[in-house]
Amino acid sequence: MTSKVTTEVLEKGTRQTKTILQLPQKHKSKIYYNKKAESEFFVDNSALAGFTGERILYMSVRELIENSLDSCEINHILPVIHLDLKLLDPLNDLWTISCKDNGIGIPSEKVPVAVCSFLTSGKYVEKQQRGLFGVGLKMIAAFSTKDTDHPLKVWSKSEEESEYYFDLRTDIGTNKPITLFKKNVKNDESQIDGNSGFKVQAILRAKLSPVTKNKIYDYISQTSIVNPYAVIVFETDEGKVTFKRRTETMPSPSKEVLPHPSDMDLKTLKKAILNFMNQKTTLQGILSSSFQKMSNEKAKDIINRAGLEAKPADQYDEHELIKVVNICKHTKFQSPNTDHLSPIGEKILTVGMTSEYSIIQNKVTTNSGSQTHLTAKILKPALTAYSSRICVVNNRPTIVECGIAYGGDIPSFRLYRFANKIPLLYDEGSDVAREVISEVGINKMGISKKEVKEQFSNVETKSDRTVEYLPIHIFFHICSTKIPYKTAGKESIASEGDLKKYMKSCLSDLYRKVSAQIRRELKIKEDENKLRLYKHYIPFIVNAISESIKIDTKKLTSAFQILAEKYVGGELSNITKQILPKTDQKRIEPVNKKINTSKRSGNENKLSKFDTRSNISKQSNKISSPKINISRKNRKK
Amino acid sequence: MTIKDKRHQEITNKIRKIMKNVGDDILVEGIMPTLEIPKVGYDNTVWSDEKRMLTIGEKTVQIGPNSSKRIPTFAQYLVMANAIRKLLDEEMESTIRGMYYATLSTVGDEKNQQKFWSGQDDSDDAIKAIELLTNVPREEFSVTSKPKGMISGPITLSVGGDLIDCNLGSKATSQLIPTNIRDLEIVKVKADFVMVVEKDTVLNNIRKSGFIQKYNAILLTGSGEPDRATRMMVKMLNEKWKKPVVIFADADPWGLGIALRYKIGSESLSYDSDRLVTPNAKVLGMMFSDIYEYNIPKVARLAATPEDMNRANDMKKKPWLQDKRWRKELNLFLERKEKCELDAFFKYGFKYLADTYLPNKLREAGVI
Repeated sequence: MTSKVTTEVLEKGTRQTKTILQLPQKHKSKIYYNKKAESEFFVDNSALAGFTGERILYMSVRELIENSLDSCEINHILPVIHLDLKLLDPLNDLWTISCKDNGIGIPSEKVPVAVCSFLTSGKYVEKQQRGLFGVGLKMIAAFSTKDTDHPLKVWSKSEEESEYYFDLRTDIGTNKPITLFKKNVKNDESQIDGNSGFKVQAILRAKLSPVTKNKIYDYISQTSIVNPYAVIVFETDEGKVTFKRRTETMPSPSKEVLPHPSDMDLKTLKKAILNFMNQKTTLQGILSSSFQKMSNEKAKDIINRAGLEAKPADQYDEHELIKVVNICKHTKFQSPNTDHLSPIGEKILTVGMTSEYSIIQNKVTTNSGSQTHLTAKILKPALTAYSSRICVVNNRPTIVECGIAYGGDIPSFRLYRFANKIPLLYDEGSDVAREVISEVGINKMGISKKEVKEQFSNVETKSDRTVEYLPIHIFFHICSTKIPYKTAGKESIASEGDLKKYMKSCLSDLYRKVSAQIRRELKIKEDENKLRLYKHYIPFIVNAISESIKIDTKKLTSAFQILAEKYVGGELSNITKQILPKTDQKRIEPVNKKINTSKRSGNENKLSKFDTRSNISKQSNKISSPKINISRKNRKK
Repeated sequence: MTIKDKRHQEITNKIRKIMKNVGDDILVEGIMPTLEIPKVGYDNTVWSDEKRMLTIGEKTVQIGPNSSKRIPTFAQYLVMANAIRKLLDEEMESTIRGMYYATLSTVGDEKNQQKFWSGQDDSDDAIKAIELLTNVPREEFSVTSKPKGMISGPITLSVGGDLIDCNLGSKATSQLIPTNIRDLEIVKVKADFVMVVEKDTVLNNIRKSGFIQKYNAILLTGSGEPDRATRMMVKMLNEKWKKPVVIFADADPWGLGIALRYKIGSESLSYDSDRLVTPNAKVLGMMFSDIYEYNIPKVARLAATPEDMNRANDMKKKPWLQDKRWRKELNLFLERKEKCELDAFFKYGFKYLADTYLPNKLREAGVI
């Protein structure tokens, strides 16, 4: 690298500019062309990687957790991740962030480069992965170097080696790591517990607003939903939350895949030829072994159609090769493979949906003022459902997964978006998932807008989308080798190709799947509401009657309550008993004598009839209620 | 005991009977109680050729606490019935707003607290329901509304024994028509005819011009939608005192609707038409055709709004508005899409309405 020289040139340049400025009569300045180191470029344009003011800590948490998950999944290790975020120096806004995992670690000689040098990554392959660019961790290292005098502390243990410890900083001007200190760690100082692992601790200068804080909490709890096989321990100054492992099942890792010929360009083609340098392979052979869905015959046909003569592959010039690219763009190939993608899968997403962790910030008021204390609550829904579609969007294999969790502990509507297992938290309004939810009618659930609005009229939502009245969580996961993000911030997905169509069909599918159960849940809700109404209005009715005529108020009330219970229906006897106070039927005797003296004998007949009827309904309650219980249990499974 | 007390007794007995039936349904029969109430509205409004007014049909609705919506309604009706009974027992009187306040309370527990009434409309509906249930107009419950009708002219009223002469010599004021009609009596009427106008502003203008003295007329207005007392006053003057009644309203669908309220009744009060409607009343103006006959300047005409058009189209469909005269007027309106207020005549001078337009119209109709 010639970066030292670059710096000198730069300094010279500045000096010369100054001299020019002293001679205004010339009005001319020379332009000097310099090369900038990658690290300097990314630090100057940190927004490209999402590291902007407020979001520095959020992005750091994200990058660290994603690296850790990738590092575990690559070798099918059940992840255990410890993330600490603590305020070090409130006066100067310094934070300590550290992340420890049990992943594959990094070989000791690669650690400094992998941590500090931008655009160095083990992930530059055509494959579905969380991180891609080799920027995240480097950004943390560079910001730590830029804003503080603390070194980045790294512990790493790969399978072949013992544990090493490093003190690192980045030379931002040259994109090179500076190793301040390196040592082999003895057993008693060891930070890594298992066979392998990686821990990094950085000091960052950043502000943490309540909004960003909530985003960090959301990010971690949502990550836990799609990674229920991971243990995530999250510790802050406000407390420690442990997301437990809820399944041992891990999705099969994604595999590297050959590019699809429709995506071929000059660069990919030349790279493919370069890979076979000195191997005396024909262009036909290179094409068929470098691209998927490209048979030998197909490759031969394409070369013929391009009108290229046979010669060694490295002898073709760009003008000839572009013909091959153009032919490929106009040729129909089979749809790309999807088996290399790694969806979350029904089993894992269902585990995640049925044990959704929600971080709660409890305000504790002590003598020294109010403090926040973190706890986690697990939301158990009444029912969940899953559906998925495998499709091709813009020649990229894509899998759409959708899940629904309804009722139970879920208080209100919420949309969860994931792309390649990463939660998307910003720009929900412009995401294709929003449009999908607006465009799929809830009548597919077998319920009407009117019913929903009646039963959930107390829900505070300003939206006119009816589904947002329901206590429902909707999950979308898009996985692909290339997600069609709307913006560089990678926070919302664009409605590209047929993606929206597939998402809609997925959601419709789910609505249909849950329709019977939701109808039943709604019916329960409706009956609960009705019983509550009776409970609230019976006193008014009884009072109006008993003020106007002489009547036994107690008897009237209890008779009315029994009537209401019967009316709402036998199958809900359990709920009935909770809401309405239990009434003793034997106490109902012939009605007030004064009113009914004339037809007293008739009354007794009617009453005995009434008694039998209520007994029958009581019995049928007993028969039907266990059925409900069984089915509810089944649902929770 | 006075006669009044007896009537009160009758009404409270009716209410007690309703309460007893509900209590019996619950306690004796063990069934969900229901209240059967005549249905009010367009689909249960029937034109009577014999009476020449709108009457209520045979349809009824069953109100019982058997659906989520009906539980509160049922309770509201019973609570209102009980409140009316109390009012009568205590020999007091109240406005409909007073009844709303008297029965105001909250329902539910801390989590789901609601108001018993969501607004006065709810309690007004409940009062209507009790009228229908007992077949007694609410004035006899001593429940009235705030007076808003006004009267001027050679007529003397007695309100609870106090004499009120409406022929106020100053031409400067009108008398509010009392709403407690049970206390109201017409003592003396010296006028030749009765003229009803839609709005109080127009009435003031006509009164000030000396119209009453010149033509020996009674001027009356309901100040927009007429209340029951105003309608009953008009009916009484026409049928008991044999005075011809003419009506003038604005030339727009709403004005025509108000004029017809006096003459044929309304859907929402079809059950009370016998007391309220004056079939002999003549609707003289302002006709849509008057806009063009009197050549109202363009600037004083108003463009019809979409709501006006909808309402006119609705009116055209009503079976009781198939009369050639109304159809012609409505078609003219739908075609020209222009409306006009009586006040528009002020463009020709402040006295034009009272001195020219009204006398012309009255002469055409043979009233003067």
